[in-house]
Amino acid sequence: MIGKFRRLYDDEHRPAFDWMLITAALAAISQGVAFALTVPVLTALFESRPGDAWPWLFALVIAAIVYAVLHYTSLTIGYSAGAQLARIVHHRLGDHVVALPLGWFTERRTGELSQLASQNVVQLMRVAAMQVRPLINAIVVPLTVFAAMLLFDWRMALAGALAVPVVAVAYRLFGNLISRTDHTVDAASAQASGRVVEFARNQPVLRAFGQREHGGQLLEDSLRRQHDTGRAQIVSGSVGLTGYIVVLQAAFVWLLLAGVYLALDGTLATPELLGLLVLAVRFVEPLIHAADDGATLRIAGNTIDRVEKVLAERPLPQPENPQVPEDASIELRDVRFGYDDDPVLDGVSLRVPPGGLTALVGPSGSGKTTITRLIARFHDAWDGGVLIGGVDVREMTTETLMSQLSLVFQDVFLFEGTIEENVRIGRADATDDELREAARRARVDEIVARLPDGWNTRVGEGGWTLSGGERQRVSIARALLKDAPIVLLDEATAALDAHNSSAVTDAIAELTSHRTVLVIAHDLNTVAHADEIVLLSDGRIAERGTHAELLAGGGDYARFWSYRDQSNSWQLGAAR
Amino acid sequence: MTAAPPRERPVDQRPTARTAVRIGFGELMRPVRGQLAVAVAVQAVSCVAAVVPFAAVAELGRVLLTTPVDRQAVWTIAVIAAGALVLRTLLLLAAGCLSHLADVTFQHITRRRLAAHLGTVPLGWFTASNSGTVKKAVADDVQALHHLVAHTLLDLTNAVVMPATAIAYLLAVDWRMTVICLVPLALGALCYFRAMGGYAEQMIAFDQALSKINSSVVELVRGITVIKTFGRTERGHARFRRSADDFATFFLAWVRAKTAISATADLLLSPVVMLTTVLIAGTILIESGTLAAVDVLPFALLGLGLSAPMLAIGTNIIALRASRQAAERITTVLSTPALAEPAEPRTIDDTAVDGTTVEFRDLRFTYDGGTEALRGIDLELRPNTVTALVGPSGSGKSTLARMLPRFWDPTEGAVTIGGVDLRDLDPNTLYRTVSFVFQDVQLLNTSVRDNIALARPDATLDEIVAVAKAAEIHDRISELPSGYDAVVGTDVQLSGGEAQRVSIARALLADTPVLVLDEATAFVDPEAEVAIQRALSRLARGRTLLVIAHRLATIRGSDQIVVLDNGNIAEQGTHDDLLARDGRYAGMWHAQQEASAKRGGLR
Repeated sequence: MIGKFRRLYDDEHRPAFDWMLITAALAAISQGVAFALTVPVLTALFESRPGDAWPWLFALVIAAIVYAVLHYTSLTIGYSAGAQLARIVHHRLGDHVVALPLGWFTERRTGELSQLASQNVVQLMRVAAMQVRPLINAIVVPLTVFAAMLLFDWRMALAGALAVPVVAVAYRLFGNLISRTDHTVDAASAQASGRVVEFARNQPVLRAFGQREHGGQLLEDSLRRQHDTGRAQIVSGSVGLTGYIVVLQAAFVWLLLAGVYLALDGTLATPELLGLLVLAVRFVEPLIHAADDGATLRIAGNTIDRVEKVLAERPLPQPENPQVPEDASIELRDVRFGYDDDPVLDGVSLRVPPGGLTALVGPSGSGKTTITRLIARFHDAWDGGVLIGGVDVREMTTETLMSQLSLVFQDVFLFEGTIEENVRIGRADATDDELREAARRARVDEIVARLPDGWNTRVGEGGWTLSGGERQRVSIARALLKDAPIVLLDEATAALDAHNSSAVTDAIAELTSHRTVLVIAHDLNTVAHADEIVLLSDGRIAERGTHAELLAGGGDYARFWSYRDQSNSWQLGAAR
Repeated sequence: MTAAPPRERPVDQRPTARTAVRIGFGELMRPVRGQLAVAVAVQAVSCVAAVVPFAAVAELGRVLLTTPVDRQAVWTIAVIAAGALVLRTLLLLAAGCLSHLADVTFQHITRRRLAAHLGTVPLGWFTASNSGTVKKAVADDVQALHHLVAHTLLDLTNAVVMPATAIAYLLAVDWRMTVICLVPLALGALCYFRAMGGYAEQMIAFDQALSKINSSVVELVRGITVIKTFGRTERGHARFRRSADDFATFFLAWVRAKTAISATADLLLSPVVMLTTVLIAGTILIESGTLAAVDVLPFALLGLGLSAPMLAIGTNIIALRASRQAAERITTVLSTPALAEPAEPRTIDDTAVDGTTVEFRDLRFTYDGGTEALRGIDLELRPNTVTALVGPSGSGKSTLARMLPRFWDPTEGAVTIGGVDLRDLDPNTLYRTVSFVFQDVQLLNTSVRDNIALARPDATLDEIVAVAKAAEIHDRISELPSGYDAVVGTDVQLSGGEAQRVSIARALLADTPVLVLDEATAFVDPEAEVAIQRALSRLARGRTLLVIAHRLATIRGSDQIVVLDNGNIAEQGTHDDLLARDGRYAGMWHAQQEASAKRGGLR
């Protein structure tokens, strides 16, 4: 477990952690020695020669001072080692994830990563700084005490030693009894949490449809299950804990009885026995804490496993001899790809010449988005090639590839900062004139004029102070400033009001002129103007051609558009 | 666009929160108070029992050191020590078991209480941020009280009873030694509490540093696409690195400032220092002839154990602070004002001609007590007519529509159905009369069948299939291996359009005379959109309809179109009336026609 911690450190800071371990162990030894000195002191006192106790007391004071110094040292190093651990883990995580393929960042993973980088790393820091030392103490003190007992009376030491494997077996046995129920309790709690969220989110529906009491049976049942598993865990856990502690206490009783027997037998001097019994308490007590500290460390170990799992994710491979694209064309050659075992794209080939406009259409799940994601190298294809300007994307550095592309997707992310900073992400060294020009063309100037602090208005976390249409215009301004030759565009599907919709349309028109465009199209006009339309179905290209050709072909595309016309002319309540 | 509900409602309970908590806290614990009292009593007995074995060992010394040794007495004492030890252990575990069981009961009762209360607060309260609050309160905060309920009381009992018993025994043995023992203890405690000083403030700073990491990591991962596509890996990354460094620096500065004092406390309270003190003082007193050698033994055995329970107080103070915050959040939720229940609920006669006429009378409403979202709406919805609400985002369309299913109560004025104020209406009658289909459809994680049958759990499968067919979702469900028993979200992932059709089926089965509808459909392919439209047409038939309209073309055949602007009714009439008037509606109509003609002209 401690080895796992050591692995997380870099070479520069590992020695500090090791020093903490060493000083903590030495402090524990000096503590054990101090305890051991009790025996000669008490012996001297009980044998009515208190004067003889002084040398031993002097040694005791020395041991106490050594302990104090070592404890202080270990504490100081430990705090700093803990803080360093947090820093190192944060940096390692940060450095590593930015090198991962963009496709790695799913909703679930980003949630897990946030949790890992905040609460969990802090937990590791706390354990490293504050809880490793007590564990070392809990192990090394009894060992030292045992060694001392061996010096004083081998039979008592042996009796103590006999207790250790029994205690260890009991710990394992009963510890299992406790942790075996963890899983069911966790599952029941997770389920109940899910039900709670569902209950809150669906409150209007639940109430409107008559499920007012306790949010319906679903929540009620899951809370009941959580309660029952919790109870069951406590019952079995109590049995486990009782077993363990009784065994532990039995070890002391065993020592006591053995000692009394030896004393009555006359083979162990009473003063020594009494000293040894004081020592026996110091032998048993740390072991009780060892169980708790061990459990904390085990949980930290699981966290470390999760950190290491993230660190073990393979970064996007970078080419050995990076190449540069020759023009602004896009090409897919017989591409196969899937997110799990099932292919989402199953042999797709297409080419967009420089300056061309190709529209991807098809039902949801047909692979449109996946194509754009492969071009931007969120993932690498299983088979076939994805080429930009005649060069496979895997033969380019990430920088080269990204410099060719502008991505305008639906979920626009703005950084907490000013509007200006957010547009400037497009090109850090852009002049103010260039910035204003991009803003004008994307109609961001209107937004800026409306906002209280103009360009210096902060957009809030994720840009929430702006509407969806406005955020999209900011992202287009960014892309205009970047001025990449290829645009990958996912047309907005959310309903925008007339003004926003028209502004976004203008902005997109600015962005897409004179560039190579691959667009996931939802709109009739976009498609009608495309040089080529590609209709995807189940990861294959079902139809391709111009709007007129496809309509004339009378295939799925034609049917698709007849539905579109039908839906556009629909009126609510018209059927009455 | 829909008028989005305000992102965050100011927590107006804030100023009174503290008093509310003090009342609420004991209130929260009430159901398990008895159980906890028993646990504390058992714990107290176990603390007394804990002292016995040590005292017995000391007595053992006394007997063994007197010659001749009373062998019988030796064994008796040894057995008493062993017995007390076992008793102590069993009682300790019993107390722990009792308090843990009390905690499980407490958690269950509190969660059900929260759920029951949440079933009565205004629907409008459930904003996105508040559903986060609910999850936190019901799941996390109740869990966060675990330490308080299950451990703190017992630890405190331990911290008081055990040292008290031990000190009483030690005083009986020798008062001078006892006082000497207490010196390092008192000094240690003093240092300890000084080390804890300023903890609350530091903890706030700690949380801030932590939340900076949190937001920078969220920004890093959520913005990773932007960061990478604009070649700005350094930027997003740098902020994260910086906040990580700041955090580490902050933590170090905090603990460094406290290292000396807390190390001193540790040392003073450590067994080593206590042992040294006892043995040196004992030796001096023995040499002076005023203390029997054997009387050192109780101090060497018991004195050393005095500090451990005290250290637990510190841990518990920290835990207590954390749980206070959790309890505060729970009581805040519990003290959210509930929707007023009518004292004498009235029902309506929906078979009467005007039984389901809806009226908004001089309706005013404000979310926060400041700006009015609705400023005096007078509107009548005649039975079996379609009324469409149109207007720019923020004009109050969604707010007005949501007043009808009583998401909120009016600030002034009234909403009536069949002449009865919604506030006087029996809630069950209300929801038997009004249902709704909104854009953000969420399905329950249960079978498709139960999802549809929500309003009428006793509906037969035939009835369910019939509405599913009418909602054009039957074919999709039939394709599933487990059909209507397929669990949504587990066995089958339904797309936005499919979920919408399930919610239409649900509304069809509920079959209420009044329906509130949000016309915008989640984007789906044209074929699915047509299916949804057909389903909506079937649902709308023969009902009083209030529609939040986005595409004017869709609602141009409505009986009346209401144009909202800034919370007021700006225009009202049929499509033709309003076009003829050439006012706002006409302007919107032309703008939308133009926009749709222009849209998508990429080149």
